[in-house]
Amino acid sequence: TLTLTSLIILTLPITTTLLQNNKTNCFLYTTKTAVTYAFAISLIPTLLFVQSNQEAYISNWHWMTIYTLKLSLSFKLDFFSLTFMPIALFITWSIMEFSLWYMHSDPHINRFFKYLLLFLITMLILVSANNLLQLFMGWEGVGIMSFLLISWWHGRTDANTAALQAMLYNRIGDMGFIMMMAWFVIHLNSWEFQQIFLTNPKNTTLPLLGLLLASAGKSAQFGLHPWLPSAMEGPTPVSALLHSSTMVMAGVFTLIRFYPLMENNLTIQTLTLCLGAITTLFTAICALTQNDIKKIIALSTSSQLGLMMVTIGINQPHLAFIHMCTHAFFKAMLFLSSGSIIHNLNNEQDIRKMGGLYKTMPITSTAITIGSLALTGMPFLTGFYSKDPIIETANMSYINTWALLITLIAVSMTASYSTRIIFFALLGQPRYPSLTQINENNPYLVNPIKRLILGSIFMGFFISMNTIPHTTPQMTMPPHLKFMALAVTLLGFTVATELNNMTHNLMFKQPSRMHTFSTTLGYYPITTHRILPYLSLTMSQNLATTIMDSIWLEKMIPKNLTTMQKTAASLVSNQKGLMKLYFLSFLLSITLGLLIAL
Amino acid sequence: MPYIYINIILAFVISLIGTLIYRSHLISSLLCLEGMILSLFTLNALLSLNINFALSTIVPLILLVFAACEAAVGLALLIIISNTYGLDYVQNLNLLQC
Repeated sequence: TLTLTSLIILTLPITTTLLQNNKTNCFLYTTKTAVTYAFAISLIPTLLFVQSNQEAYISNWHWMTIYTLKLSLSFKLDFFSLTFMPIALFITWSIMEFSLWYMHSDPHINRFFKYLLLFLITMLILVSANNLLQLFMGWEGVGIMSFLLISWWHGRTDANTAALQAMLYNRIGDMGFIMMMAWFVIHLNSWEFQQIFLTNPKNTTLPLLGLLLASAGKSAQFGLHPWLPSAMEGPTPVSALLHSSTMVMAGVFTLIRFYPLMENNLTIQTLTLCLGAITTLFTAICALTQNDIKKIIALSTSSQLGLMMVTIGINQPHLAFIHMCTHAFFKAMLFLSSGSIIHNLNNEQDIRKMGGLYKTMPITSTAITIGSLALTGMPFLTGFYSKDPIIETANMSYINTWALLITLIAVSMTASYSTRIIFFALLGQPRYPSLTQINENNPYLVNPIKRLILGSIFMGFFISMNTIPHTTPQMTMPPHLKFMALAVTLLGFTVATELNNMTHNLMFKQPSRMHTFSTTLGYYPITTHRILPYLSLTMSQNLATTIMDSIWLEKMIPKNLTTMQKTAASLVSNQKGLMKLYFLSFLLSITLGLLIAL
Repeated sequence: MPYIYINIILAFVISLIGTLIYRSHLISSLLCLEGMILSLFTLNALLSLNINFALSTIVPLILLVFAACEAAVGLALLIIISNTYGLDYVQNLNLLQC
C-alpha cells in the first residue's frame, strides 16, 4: 500500500502535464486540484510512517547495468522524504492558488502553471530518490526550472542576467556533486544510499567536500550566494516556491541525507559549521539595509539556510530537517503576503514607499506579523520548536566559540530586519500614491494565506510531537544559556524599534561605510562578477595574441636572431669593407702558393 | 690526366678569377660564383661516371643542394645592400652601415 500510494502521488501531477490542453482555462483548475489530491494522498504514507516508524524502499524498474553498477528506479520513503513531501505539496497547493490571483492578467498563465508543476515533480524526485543518479536528475531538474521561472518576464535584462547567474552558480555546485558521484562509483561501486551507508568508508573527506560544494551552490551559502537576492526578479509565486521553501532546501536536504557519513568526519562538520556561520551573519548584515521587500526576505532565507548548515555542523541533522520543514511554512507565507502588498500597491516593491497598511490590509499584515514572529522563534509558534532547540544544542555542544557567537548575532539580526519590514510596510503613515486601490477580497488571495497562517502556528507542535527524536537533547542547562535565544531575539526587536523610531525622519547626506557595505551586499557581487570574467578574458587574450602570435611566431626566433647577429657583428668586426682589395689579395696569395709549390 | 678534366678545371679557375676580380657591381661576383659551382658539378658528375664508382653519384646532388642555399644567401645579402644604398656598387661597402 505504501508503495502504490507514493507512486500515485508522483504520477498525479504528471498526468496533468501530459494532457496538455493549453488553450482552455480549466487547465489551471485541474492542476490545482491535482496538487490538492496529491497532498491528501501523500498524507496517507506519512501517517502510516508516524504510526509504525517503518521505512520503505521501493525499487521498481531496472534501467541498466554498466559492468557491475546496477541502475534502477528506486524511491526511499524514510522520515525525511515522507515528512517533506506533504509539506512541499501543501505549499505548492497554496502557491498555485495564490498565483491564480497574482498572475491573473498574464496571457501565458497556463505555461506558468506547467512550469510550477514540472518544478514540483522534479523536487519530489529529488526528495524521494534512493540513488544518486535519480537525485541528480531531480537536482538538475530543479535547476532548469529555476532558470525558466526566474526569467519568466524575459523581456527584462535584469531577469535574464539573474536567471543566468542562478544557473552558473548552481553549475559550480554541480561540479562538486559530480565529483562525489564519481568518488562513490569508483570506491564503493554503487550509487544507492543503502550500500554507501553500509560500507561506511573511512576516508570520506573528498566526496563530502564535493557534497558541501554542491549544497553551497544550491543553497546559496557564502561564496556562491549572489544568485539568491538576484533571483527575486522572478514573479512572487516563483520566489515563494523555489527560493524560500523548496529549491534552496535541496542542498540542505542532500547534506541531511548523508548524515551517517558526516557523523564520522569531523573536518567536514567543522567546515559546514564555519561556512554556515559566515553565511548567516553575512546575509543578515546585508538584509539590514536593503530597501526591496523581496530582497530582504530572500536574504533572510539565505540566513536561515546558514543556520541549518550550522545545525548540520554540530551533528544534528534531524533538528536541521525540522527547521527546514517549519521554515518552509512561514517563509512561503512571508513571500505570499509580500506579493499581496506588491500587487495591491500597483507593483511597488520599495519599502520606503509603503506604509500604513496595518489598517487597510488586515489579513496580510497579520500574516506578516505572525510570519516574522515565527521566523524569529517566538515561544510556542512554529519557529520555536525548531530554532530554540538548535540554539540550545549549539550552546551546549563542543563547538567553535566564534561560530556560535556569530550565529547568535545573526539570530538577533533576524529580529531586527523583521522589525524593519513590519515598521516600514505596515506601521506609520502611508507613503504610496493615494489613488491605488487596495483590495484583499479575492478568495484566491486570502485562502492560501490563511492556510499558511494556520500551518505557521501549529506545524511546529505537530511535527515535534509526532517524530521520534533520534538524538537525546540536552535537558538541563544554566538559565542564561536556556534563555539565550529569546534574549538575543528580544534585543534585536528592541534595538530595531528604537532605531527605527528615532531615525525615521533623518536623512544622511552621504551614507556611512557600513551602510554601503550592507546595501551593496558586501561588495561581493560587484567585485567577483567583474573580476572573474576580466581575468579569464585577459588570460585568453594573452594566450592567443601575445604568446602565440607575437612571441612564438615572430619574436622568439626570427627577430631575436637578427638583433643578436647584428649587435654581435657590429661589436666584433673591425672591417672596413674594402671588398676588391680583399679579393685581389686572396687571388695573389693563391697564385703565389701555387707557383712556390710547382 | 684525361683532357676533359683539365678542361673543366680550367673553367673553374677562370670563374674563380672572375669572382675575385671585378669592377664595380657585386652581382658579377655572385654570377662567377655560380659558374664555379657549375664547373665543380660537371667535374664531379663526369668523375663518378668514368671511374664507375656508383656510390659517389650522390655527391653532385648534395653539391647542388648546398649551392642553392648559398645562392639564396648571396642574393639576400645583395638585396640588403641595395636596400640601404640603392645600387650594389662595391665602393659603397666601406661606409660600415647596418
